[in-house]
Amino acid sequence: MRFLLRRVLQAFFLLLGASLLTFLFSTLAPGNYFDEMRLNPQISANTVAALRAQHQLNSPLPVRYAHWVNSVTHGEMGFSFAYNSPVAPLLWVRARNTLLLTVTATLLAWLLALPMGIWSATHAGELSDRALTWSTAGLLATPELVLSLGLLIVAVRTGWFPTGGMVSIGYGSLSLFQKICDVAAHMILPVAALVLSALPILIRHVRAALAEQLDAPFLRVAAAHGLSRRTLLYRYALRAAANPLISLFGFSVGALLSGSLIVEVVMSWPGLGPLLLEAILARDLYVVIGGVLFSTIFLIAGNFLADLLLYWVDPRIRAGAPSR
Amino acid sequence: MSRRQVTRWLGALAVLHALILCAGFFAPNDPEEQDRERPYLAPVKIHFVDSQGHFHLRPFVYPTRLQTGSFDQFEEDNSTPLPLRFVVAGPRYRLLGFIPCRRHLFGTDGARLYLLGSDAYGRDLFSRILYGGQISLLAGLLGATITLSLGAGIGAIAGYYGGWRDAVLMRTAELFVALPWLYLLFGLRAFLPLTVGPLEAFFLVVAVIGAVGWARPARLVRGVVLSAKERDFVRAARGFGASDRYLLFRHILPQTSSVLLTQAALLVPQFVLAEMTLSFLGLGVPEPVPSWGNLLASLQQYSVLISYWWMYLPALAVVPFFLGYLGLASALQEEGGTGKIEEAPGGSPL
Amino acid sequence: MSKETLLCVNEVTKRFKVKGPAGAAAEVPALSGISFSLSPQRTLALVGESGSGKSTLAQCIAGLERVTSGEIFFAGRDIAALGETQLRRVRPQIQLIFQDPANSLNPRWSALEIVSEPLLIQRRCNKSEASGKACELLKRVAIPTGKLGQSPGEFSGGQRQRLAIARALSLEPKLLILDEALSALDCSAQSQIANLLLELQASLGLTYLFITHDFALAAHLADEIAVMDRGRIAEIGETESILRAPQQEITRRLLAAVPKPFSARQDSQVR
Repeated sequence: MRFLLRRVLQAFFLLLGASLLTFLFSTLAPGNYFDEMRLNPQISANTVAALRAQHQLNSPLPVRYAHWVNSVTHGEMGFSFAYNSPVAPLLWVRARNTLLLTVTATLLAWLLALPMGIWSATHAGELSDRALTWSTAGLLATPELVLSLGLLIVAVRTGWFPTGGMVSIGYGSLSLFQKICDVAAHMILPVAALVLSALPILIRHVRAALAEQLDAPFLRVAAAHGLSRRTLLYRYALRAAANPLISLFGFSVGALLSGSLIVEVVMSWPGLGPLLLEAILARDLYVVIGGVLFSTIFLIAGNFLADLLLYWVDPRIRAGAPSR
Repeated sequence: MSRRQVTRWLGALAVLHALILCAGFFAPNDPEEQDRERPYLAPVKIHFVDSQGHFHLRPFVYPTRLQTGSFDQFEEDNSTPLPLRFVVAGPRYRLLGFIPCRRHLFGTDGARLYLLGSDAYGRDLFSRILYGGQISLLAGLLGATITLSLGAGIGAIAGYYGGWRDAVLMRTAELFVALPWLYLLFGLRAFLPLTVGPLEAFFLVVAVIGAVGWARPARLVRGVVLSAKERDFVRAARGFGASDRYLLFRHILPQTSSVLLTQAALLVPQFVLAEMTLSFLGLGVPEPVPSWGNLLASLQQYSVLISYWWMYLPALAVVPFFLGYLGLASALQEEGGTGKIEEAPGGSPL
Repeated sequence: MSKETLLCVNEVTKRFKVKGPAGAAAEVPALSGISFSLSPQRTLALVGESGSGKSTLAQCIAGLERVTSGEIFFAGRDIAALGETQLRRVRPQIQLIFQDPANSLNPRWSALEIVSEPLLIQRRCNKSEASGKACELLKRVAIPTGKLGQSPGEFSGGQRQRLAIARALSLEPKLLILDEALSALDCSAQSQIANLLLELQASLGLTYLFITHDFALAAHLADEIAVMDRGRIAEIGETESILRAPQQEITRRLLAAVPKPFSARQDSQVR
């Protein structure tokens, strides 16, 4: 229990630190949202000044930070100049979409990587395994940007997949089942891009973790007892390999998040990525801070989930001994 | 055996980089020379058999001309075959940035050779890919250098001196690692001037990339320093009266070299990708300077996606480089031992 | 403290701060009230089991660890009270040979570099002079000159320990602390290094503090033996008297653990 509490506390302080860090970066901003307005001759300088004062852009950093923390506790997370609304509701909608994409991609990637990694570890050195290793290497060398653009071109030229966005026109008039199908169809390409980019690393790590266990003395002893290959693999080796894999799970969430930014932008998926980009180009300060923080929250949540899993799976952690 | 692998990958990478370094020689055209009358030309077809059915040993191409009665459809002009020559004189350039040259590896006398087609302004895509590689790879390499220097310095201080320095530095590192790096990169980029000239943009991108990635190398270096600090040969050197600086620079930091090299092999592709992503979205190196990222920017338009598939090719240019760096990283990770003396098999008892 | 004493340790105590299992800071007493003295050109053996504090004491005397309380008089000066810069001037006179030469020699340096290092750190001569002196030392410890450029990995265990000894001798120390210096070697290497040490002591007039868990070795090499038990000196005296009439339980136990030669066992069995 104490372990979990410590983790929660750590997560909280991490978030606090992250928000401070992003706020600190914002002081470097040599421009802000209202600079654009200032260039517009139709808006008087007084209006600009009034707007700036209203959003407290003239106050020193600590005051602004306190103000922002206050707004967080009210569930607003600051104010978006471009959308003229509190930041939090904007982020929630987009975050939901990003989560949909990343969670699906994570699950699918792991569902594929585990059997492929196990297969690779048990057939190590064979020709088919070598072919797998080389193709995963090639995939690893292909960044998400290249993958998603490539997939998009395929979609556009073949017309087999919807090319961007989350819903088709006329979405509102579909039945619930049709709506689900529509979103799912739009999800195929972005999820494929994310899965393809995550798969190579996951397969490699599953293979490595399992290979290490397959060589371990305790397994050889178990084999000498006459246990079947299946039992050895699933009840002994895989269990022992679980630790590093669960930690990898936490890490893969973060990597997938970073990857999802570019995939969302390329495929016009309405998630946090495009929102962040817009906000950057428009200098919408609080949306940028909120976006970075939201993604951090997801990353921390992913790691926390991994820690929970570890706690549940590894009795040594429950007993309080250090596991790493 | 692993050392040979490392050398092999290094060799492959060296060849690839040499290709990009001498972009002027390998590119048949000037990357910034426009031809507004030939936008979005498809990659040129290389022929060996001409329209009369004669076979030529030397490959040739046909120049392009507008189809009669069309504004944007091009066709080959069968009347004048242009033979492909090698080591041919062409547009002037500066090899390695300062040696003036006129020779190119291949080209045609006369019309421009669009090996991979042209972009919206009629600029040769192949040449732009080669020159663009210079920018993207340099950004990656410089960024990795900054990150590793920063990370090594911080990790060494944290590991060697311990105490409050270690606590503060490592907590900060945890913070940076907790943030998804691409979001952090974008966040940082957001707060810097949006529209700057190409040179400033380049250094801005490099600085931002370098500032973001120091945390992981710092932790790794700290780990190595912590264990190296306790090694007996370091204690022995202290016993001879060595100062902290001597111990750090002569004994401890050299132990981090394998970690740093492996990190370099992993970070360079990541940073090249960062520059590509930023430039693709208009936050990196701006026109007219080519970089692999901004060469892909036109793909954001639907019309380009559907009609001009060759504009995707710059994306593939990066793959062999990534393969090389990743292979190098694997080979380095395999080669890296514990730094301890291994027993030579069958050594004499004395 | 007579004029003859080279090393005089007086009521040395060393406590380590560690993190207890509950996260609270705790203090572990490694040494309590250690006192003994050592005359020049003599060998004192510190015998004890693992964890008795022998290595900690060695590190304290060599100046690599700070004592919590007590005094260490070397050639008349209390080195435990010296600051870092003053200590640096005394260091050359007390040298430490570590147990595992695979660990105490930088695996990436050549034999020549390793042995010339102390002279260069102390800035006693330039690089070429240091190399010359290093060559002489290596000849002294019977390392063939052809192997000068090789790294430690290409030497055997015994040869590496010779390198370590040559390195330690380069600063012309008065006191040599051998912290389990023979424990990592095989039997033949052990005896050869032991003989080398005895020969060097005779020709260079060295004083040895020999730390070991091996009573037999101590008996072979030392003039005096001090038995350590859990951070204290249980018994100290001339080798002869300790061996003939051990006073403390721990001494008797350690003596009993020494394997007897084959013939002796047969005799006892027959009887």
